[in-house]
Amino acid sequence: MSEEHQPRREEDAKEFAEEQASLFKITFGPLIWAVHFVVCYGLVAVTCAKGWDIFATRLGLVLLSALALGGIGWVGWSAWRQWNPSRTGDPMNRGSRAEDRHHFLGHAAFLLSIISLIGVVFVSMPLILIGGCQ
Amino acid sequence: MTVRETGLPRPEGPYPPTEAMLAEPVPEDVAKAQAERLRAAWAPPTGWRYWTAVNNTKVGKWYCLTALVFMLLAGVMALIIRLQLAVPENDLVSADRFNQLFTMHGSAMMFLFAVPMFEAISILLLPGLLGARDMPFPRLSAFGYWCFLIGGVFVIGSIFFDAAPRAGWFMYPPLATKDDGPGSDIWLLGLSFIEIASIAAAVELIVGSLKCRPPGMRVNIMPLYAWYVLVVGGMILFAFPPLIAGDFLFELERSFDWPFFDPERGGDPMLWQHLFWIFGHPEVYIVFLPSIAIAAMIVPTVARRPIFGYSWIVLSAVGTGFLSFGLWVHHMFTTGLPSISLGFFSAASEAVVIPTGIQIFAFLATLMAGRVKMTLPMLWISGALAIFTMGGLTGVMLALAPFDFQAHDTYFIVAHLHYTLFGGMVFPVIAGVYYFYPFFRKKLMSERLGRWAFWLIFTGFNLCFLPMHLTGLWGMPRRIYTYPTGLGWDGLNLISTLGAFVVAAGFAIFVWDLIRPKGGQPQIPRNPWDAGTLEWTHDVPEEVWGVRSIPHVTTRYPLWDQPGMQGRMDAGGFYLPDAREGKREILITSVIDAEPVQVQRVSGPTWITHLAAGFTGGAFIFPTFHWYPPAIACGVLAICCIIWWLWTSTARPPETDIKDVGLDLKLPTYAAGPASTGWWAMWITMLGDATAFASLIFGFFFYWTASPDFPPEGAVHAASGLIGLAAVGFAATWALTVGGRRLNRVQAVGAARACLAFAPLMAAGGASALIGSVWPLEPSAHVYPAVLWALAIWVAAHCGVGGIMQLYCLAGSLFGKLTPRYDADIWNVSLYWHFVTIAALVTCAVLGLAPGAL
Amino acid sequence: MKVQKNGRVARFRPVGRQFGFVVLLMALAGCGGGQSALNTAGREAASIALLFWVMLCGAVVLWLLVNGAFYYVSRIAPGRLDTRHARSVLIGGGIVLPVVVLTALLAWGLSILPDPRRPGDGLVVRVTGEQWWWRVEYWPEGAETPIVTANEIRLPAGQRTEFRLAADEVIHSFWIPALGGKMDMFPGRETMISLAPERPGVYRGQCAEFCGASHAWMAFAAVVMPPEAFDDWLAAEAADAVPPTDEAALRGQEVFLSEGCGACHTVRGTEAVGTVGPDLTHIGSRRTLGAGRSTVTLENLGTWITHTEALKPEVRMPSYALSEGDLADLTQYLKGLK
Repeated sequence: MSEEHQPRREEDAKEFAEEQASLFKITFGPLIWAVHFVVCYGLVAVTCAKGWDIFATRLGLVLLSALALGGIGWVGWSAWRQWNPSRTGDPMNRGSRAEDRHHFLGHAAFLLSIISLIGVVFVSMPLILIGGCQ
Repeated sequence: MTVRETGLPRPEGPYPPTEAMLAEPVPEDVAKAQAERLRAAWAPPTGWRYWTAVNNTKVGKWYCLTALVFMLLAGVMALIIRLQLAVPENDLVSADRFNQLFTMHGSAMMFLFAVPMFEAISILLLPGLLGARDMPFPRLSAFGYWCFLIGGVFVIGSIFFDAAPRAGWFMYPPLATKDDGPGSDIWLLGLSFIEIASIAAAVELIVGSLKCRPPGMRVNIMPLYAWYVLVVGGMILFAFPPLIAGDFLFELERSFDWPFFDPERGGDPMLWQHLFWIFGHPEVYIVFLPSIAIAAMIVPTVARRPIFGYSWIVLSAVGTGFLSFGLWVHHMFTTGLPSISLGFFSAASEAVVIPTGIQIFAFLATLMAGRVKMTLPMLWISGALAIFTMGGLTGVMLALAPFDFQAHDTYFIVAHLHYTLFGGMVFPVIAGVYYFYPFFRKKLMSERLGRWAFWLIFTGFNLCFLPMHLTGLWGMPRRIYTYPTGLGWDGLNLISTLGAFVVAAGFAIFVWDLIRPKGGQPQIPRNPWDAGTLEWTHDVPEEVWGVRSIPHVTTRYPLWDQPGMQGRMDAGGFYLPDAREGKREILITSVIDAEPVQVQRVSGPTWITHLAAGFTGGAFIFPTFHWYPPAIACGVLAICCIIWWLWTSTARPPETDIKDVGLDLKLPTYAAGPASTGWWAMWITMLGDATAFASLIFGFFFYWTASPDFPPEGAVHAASGLIGLAAVGFAATWALTVGGRRLNRVQAVGAARACLAFAPLMAAGGASALIGSVWPLEPSAHVYPAVLWALAIWVAAHCGVGGIMQLYCLAGSLFGKLTPRYDADIWNVSLYWHFVTIAALVTCAVLGLAPGAL
Repeated sequence: MKVQKNGRVARFRPVGRQFGFVVLLMALAGCGGGQSALNTAGREAASIALLFWVMLCGAVVLWLLVNGAFYYVSRIAPGRLDTRHARSVLIGGGIVLPVVVLTALLAWGLSILPDPRRPGDGLVVRVTGEQWWWRVEYWPEGAETPIVTANEIRLPAGQRTEFRLAADEVIHSFWIPALGGKMDMFPGRETMISLAPERPGVYRGQCAEFCGASHAWMAFAAVVMPPEAFDDWLAAEAADAVPPTDEAALRGQEVFLSEGCGACHTVRGTEAVGTVGPDLTHIGSRRTLGAGRSTVTLENLGTWITHTEALKPEVRMPSYALSEGDLADLTQYLKGLK
């Protein structure tokens, strides 16, 4: 894309589709966190209100947390590969080429998955540290 | 991508421009003629027509000044509050007046200052930051502004008639639902009206930063401010609708006695608390992030180097945006929810500290790696930092539920929230005013007065709010109109009151400096701070066109890294240097990579926005006094105005399909579907609408969770036969709309018209069947019938609007506005119906299936 | 009972004054008065205060570090550091430090979070938030009927007492800062908190959730007593009102009944059985009048009866215009209800 060309619609569309996925990808980590959070909150609320077995719910949610961490780990790893500062040698992604934008989105997705990872670990701490509904 | 299907032309010519192309000079006489035409096309109206302007530089300024005035009024209320609390057992104001004052202080600061100020500043600045001429929907900004003005005056004016809301800015039922007098209704209806205007502005700002960037400005080099606008716009879309849904239920209870929050009839006051804080906590970050965005523009300029950790700041903005939706229960730690649930929110509240901290450390890192040259705006940013870090640290304390059990609803919270809001909003915004003043006013503010204002506000603030931490820990609850002596609070309160007046003195100096005449000041330099971003390519003295020509941008700090760009812009050597037809035009680019895709006409000065805003205001304001007939009349007239506005100035078939935009590039002038800005606006709006609907559904299941008998035994359920019929009607109207769009595109115009004629009938049929299914239910008897009614009304109202849209398309087809080639309207209408049909079918499922399943 | 022309009540001794001297001492120690969360007398309050002091120290250090660093790079030595430092600040300050600190704090916070929900040792106190006063019922272990009182809560030291909370019309919040955190009170929903007071003394509790015009005047005295003294007090509280003996008080009782006070108030052992307002069976022995509005003296009782609205805006009880003699007798009667 850095060389001169006629804007070609199909090519743009393809590239756009790819990078649209990539733009959404930066939200995958936080989205996993959000889904994990909502499920934890919702299930515990219903369990306590309806008198279901809180221990089973906690166990299930701890397993879900492990799953969420796995998912975020996968997102983070693939984002790392997209960014890959050791190969490109440029951690700042401030150039104007399509590649720079590509690496930037990888970088942002990678950092967001770190935050999401911490978020999921924090949110699962009450499941382990607090026993019942009280 | 859709361009190919419609047969509309594609962009033609070279892109990106080569060095050789850019080196070619523009002949002077050509440039001069272009500049004349451009100036004429963007000329603002004069005389009394001045108020018909819709341009972002005008509307943005009015918006900012109005928000400032509301802020000052709310500040005066704060001073009265502080005077009343200066000494124990004071009787300066009565309890009732005091309750009105603190309710209005909070409500006005939040709804009439903080959020609108973000939108106002963004409307004013964003086009400049993006090298754009204007926002994509100027009339929408103007409409939003007039709504804000009418609603704001109505709400804040109530205090002068002793009729203001007085149940706190959080309006907890049953206190607020049982309150006599119109106060609660003024809050609910007036602020709902403003919230809708806020959402309109958010839609416009999101589309602006996605589709109106200059060519070449890919997402990785756009100014951080634009990233923040995107994140905050997104947050508004998900945060405000739950409150609007809550307002809807609340007003139904106030007006028609439907018991959503009345525990005696199965309702639950906790539902309001959830809906309010699902809005209320993200709101705090909606206020805070844009101000940090201002800091993110100032810090690199001061450090004289690019921001350090651009991706990190993007991460923290997006991360904060997400996490801020998982904090709402920390306002409800003492409501007796299960300990584990509190634990989740405690954890998320701690987690959000990390992205917030990253933003601050990124600024620190930037200053470290740069060569700092202190300026007045930076002084304010430093003050912001000192105050905000303190608010942040007390926030870490409060996020731990046990500590909050003690501190909740005491003056410790008052101190904490003012530290976060002054440090996270007021100081950065004032820094922004000093920094951007040369940009929007083409004058400089006084350095000396600025320092005076800073030190007065900074010391006064700490004098006022630092002691409040202790006042709170010593047990003083919030929202008490007076207190007995002997509890240790007297001296602390007196100090706080003194501090408040020092702050007021500082604001007086600041406001004087802001508005004092500056005619004698010599012409300012164009880039007084030596900044690197596009807004500093502005013309001094002022020109009306925004930018002379829209540059091709390849760096984050083009003024530092693209030498020669400024000269070329001024010479008209980039895109859209001309207005050949004398019409206002903006450049639309692609979302990710900002490749130019379209030239879009934007609308000019008009009175229609005033009429539309006035009638919309009437539709919201009359019900406050239970005057329903004029309210309905206003609603109908508002719809008529909006239709007329859309019909005359949006998605008109162009005279030519393609036009030269400079640098040998030719761009299409019309777009439909995902390529058009209107489609994006509809998509974004409907996302917000869907969130409001989801909040109602959440309400239904909340009642089920919270109460052991929901639905109550022996309750009358909605008639399932009619629900089935309604579902068929909704499916049919959706199919007809989408079918109409497809048929129209393949030239089957007659068949398309038939579809569009039948579609509203099906919509009306579906809505009637749905209402019919709940007709025998008595909504004031119990919350179960009430919530079913509320869902049915929600869907029916959307069907009504959707039916009008279908008829609008039919009329468009009949009168040549909508053709197989130019079909943007029907694309947007089908998109609307995708969302509404899903909501309608979910409603049918809940009404029909839930009684059996639960 | 001096009421000025404008209806303002002068010389009305507010209840807080009794804490005056304590406040002075406490203020010197940095702990505040009888409503201070730092002047702790209960287990929850103590563990929260410890958490607070630790967090406060940490916060001061962190604040100085961050702002000191800003000051250093912008004022003292601009341009002396480079991108290497910047990167370590970003990663160390932005991620590593907060993760370590916050994880530790969160674990601490979560470990003490469920404490106020522990079951009590036997005594249950039901408190209902009214407009604007507190209906209090003591349910000792195994009791079938409660011992009803109002606007004062007495607790045995060294035991965990369970509170069952509700509200009549609007949301209130039950809070005795010296003993522990607060818990909201809802109409139509019961919430629970338990408190374990340890140090006998008189503390002040107050409604913490905004509840309307007289939110400011919805307080109560919380008295922590040695267990034996508490048992004696509770036994006395369970008894009917002591019939008046002196003449003024007997006349006062007549006034009480003839003015219709009994429609709203109960004085057990008499015809007064109203439940709209606070139970007055032992009003004479209570520490406060009008839900913490003042102390129970003859003068204050008189002012209260004749000027309710001035003392407590929008209160439900109307002001009574009684002759001076009747008023004196009535206050004599009430003061005698020990």
